[in-house]
Amino acid sequence: MIMEYTENHFSLVLAAVIISLLLWVPVGVLITRNEKLASMVLNIANTIFCIPSLSLFAVMVTIPALGLGRRSALVALVLYSMMPLGRNVYQGVKVVDKSVIEAARGMGMNSWRILWEIQLPLATPVIFAGFRIAVVMTTGIAAIATYIGERNLGRLIAEGLTRFNIEMIVSGALLIALIAIALDTVLGIIEKQIVPKGLKVRRS
Amino acid sequence: MIELKEVTKIYTGQSVPAVDSLTMKIEKGEICVFVGPSGCGKSTTLRMINRMIEPSSGTILIDNKNIKDSDPDKLRMGIGYVIQQIGLLPHRTVAENIAIVPRLHGWPKDKINRRVDELLVLIGLDPETTRSKFPSQLSGGQMQRIGVARAMAADPPVMLMDEPFGAVDPIARNHLQDEFLRLQREIKKTIVFVTHDINEAIKMGDKIAIFNRGRLVQYGTPQDILSRPANDFVADFIGYDRVVKMLSLFRVEDIARPVGCTIEPNELPNAWNKMQDYQAAVCFLINSAGEPSGFITGDDFLKQGKDASPDVLNKIAGQRKRAFVEGDVLLRDALSLILEFNTEYLGVLSGNRVVGVISLGDIRKHASKKEGD
Amino acid sequence: MDWMRVKQALLERAPEALGVHIVMVLVTISIAIAISVPLGVLLTRPKYKNLGVVVLNILNLLQTIPGLAIIALTMPFLGLGLKPTIFALTVQGLLPIARNTIAGLYGVSPDVKEAALGMGMSHKKILYEVELPLAMPIILAGVRTATVYVVSVGTLAAYIGGGGLGDLIVTGLAMFWPEFLIVGAGLGAILAISLDRLLAYVEYRITPPGLGT
Ligand SMILES: Nc1ncnc2c1ncn2[C@@H]1O[C@H](COP(=O)(O)OP(=O)(O)OP(=O)(O)O)[C@@H](O)[C@H]1O
Ligand SMILES: [Mg+2]
Repeated sequence: MIMEYTENHFSLVLAAVIISLLLWVPVGVLITRNEKLASMVLNIANTIFCIPSLSLFAVMVTIPALGLGRRSALVALVLYSMMPLGRNVYQGVKVVDKSVIEAARGMGMNSWRILWEIQLPLATPVIFAGFRIAVVMTTGIAAIATYIGERNLGRLIAEGLTRFNIEMIVSGALLIALIAIALDTVLGIIEKQIVPKGLKVRRS
Repeated sequence: MIELKEVTKIYTGQSVPAVDSLTMKIEKGEICVFVGPSGCGKSTTLRMINRMIEPSSGTILIDNKNIKDSDPDKLRMGIGYVIQQIGLLPHRTVAENIAIVPRLHGWPKDKINRRVDELLVLIGLDPETTRSKFPSQLSGGQMQRIGVARAMAADPPVMLMDEPFGAVDPIARNHLQDEFLRLQREIKKTIVFVTHDINEAIKMGDKIAIFNRGRLVQYGTPQDILSRPANDFVADFIGYDRVVKMLSLFRVEDIARPVGCTIEPNELPNAWNKMQDYQAAVCFLINSAGEPSGFITGDDFLKQGKDASPDVLNKIAGQRKRAFVEGDVLLRDALSLILEFNTEYLGVLSGNRVVGVISLGDIRKHASKKEGD
Repeated sequence: MDWMRVKQALLERAPEALGVHIVMVLVTISIAIAISVPLGVLLTRPKYKNLGVVVLNILNLLQTIPGLAIIALTMPFLGLGLKPTIFALTVQGLLPIARNTIAGLYGVSPDVKEAALGMGMSHKKILYEVELPLAMPIILAGVRTATVYVVSVGTLAAYIGGGGLGDLIVTGLAMFWPEFLIVGAGLGAILAISLDRLLAYVEYRITPPGLGT
């Protein structure tokens, strides 16, 4: 049972994270080219981020095309990731030193080349920090999706709560916490490998 | 007066002392400049004087009172402190920044306001426009001035300045140095001034203390240090242009001699005789308005013959039309002019009148003169 | 949509649920501030400098523990009801505030502190007049994050009998009443968003004018 829950938990998180990456990284990059659009998108992201997770899941369920289950859970999780991912991509690309870009333009690079060869590599530390936050957050919130029908580690807690089964609660909570911490640690190690040499980001 | 006795500082976890049994006296009303390579212990010494750091051993006296006996906060309120990074409070206006120490002293509001305006004028900023600005709205040079004004706010008799002009460009720095020296002539504070620029030290210091590896290597007036470097380290630190640097300690008026002989253009045929009569080596040509338009020297007659024609003499004199300096020009710059015009002499001006003359020989003599000779 | 049920949810259930939720959030955030700001100040004093870094790392780690896990873990120890809820939420709220207090105080330029100390300001004065004002925007950002978290996790309190807007959602989910879901979820979202905007405004107002960002 625990194996099945863990598997479901992972597959939901994985799917949400992959979709989020495919969606929000391009969006984050795109909005660096238009200030108005950027402030609008980031405002929406921030607002969604404020919505309590149980609320967002609940609202998803009432949308006929989604209903109870995985589709609602996925959409909600992807929406939550918009804030940490989209914002960090935007900020990371945006803060690249103007003089570096000026120099690149002076060497004859066009703006897509500059984006691809300079801005994105230089933004990796910030983007990765956002990615890390998104993954950890998704892991935690995914548990709540149990209340809209997901059979994952959240269920251990939910059932433990209704049955007053303390072992179930503790094992569920600890498992989720452990997975979140483990993922964060692994991503931290990967971050060190991925970040271009010469750039070291200070996480706040 | 500040007195350091056998002061040593060893930072925790380090084996070599940052400051090694330092003994020195800084006289009242003088600027004492600490200079030396990076990491030689200048800042450490300075910061021990206002107890930002406690010495590992030794004593420091200010006006014969051991600073250990006063409360550190009280002590610091009585000592102006300027740091290289300035450290203005970013959330306070210029006026509030300057008012910090007066407020700690509990001055009444209107007295503080008056003092703030007075200081802003003193450092050459307009109180009306500057008073309520925030540090982020100022240029680097302006911030540096506010930093100095803030340290002077409660009129402390002692000021500690750690590379106070380090963060500005050379031109602004030069300007700030001049202004500060002018100010110091009026306020006569006891100042300890840290720099690692020997030129700044020579310019600002009444006394210079040269540090190396936590030790005081030489302590004396700029002239003393330039004319008699204590060892190879000091000589190297000063550089090959030691003598030229020394010339920047003196001004033309210090060595100018009175004018021996002047002539008007119509007297040119008689020039040789007149110079003989006056026993003068140089003779200034004065136009009808009384302004000098050049000069001729005994050498010219040696080259051209005693009976050189007035036209030739006029032409030679005219080539030196600009070989004149004001009395307050530094000897270093006068030397440069002498080399430029390839002459032995320069006329000394006061307004449009020639009032004196200096020669390459005088400068050379002065440069090789030792202090006390 | 069943309008009767919407009415029932809005008029009969929502006022109390919203009230409880607001009280829950206010109490929690107040306690969290009262604990974590002094803690943050203490841990940034030179005496406890090393401890500060350690605590910051621990807080970063704790931050990764999901809210549901924290809520659930409180139940075995404190039982059901509002009290364990407030305890669990306080733990959630502590982290961002303490973290930001420490980060904000560390962020104050050492040059500014050196200059202030050198002018004879006492350590206490420097804390109140220099460090805290300069760190305040970051501390408040922490309070803002904490508030949004607490409103969010607060909806889960329904599962341990803490009441609040979660009650409506839980009822809606259990009975398949979308009206209850929408009212509960909507109010929760509105509460979180309004508090977030309110705090953003406060943050903007108290940011010292010299610190243009
Ligand atoms: N807080 C400290 N802890 C340990 N060592 C220190 C500390 N401050 C300074 N030092 C060391 O003490 C020595 C003297 O430092 P100090 O700051 O006095 O040098 P300085 O002459 O002011 O140099 P600079 O011109 O670079 O400012 C250096 O070797 C420095 O590394
Ligand atoms: Mg120094």
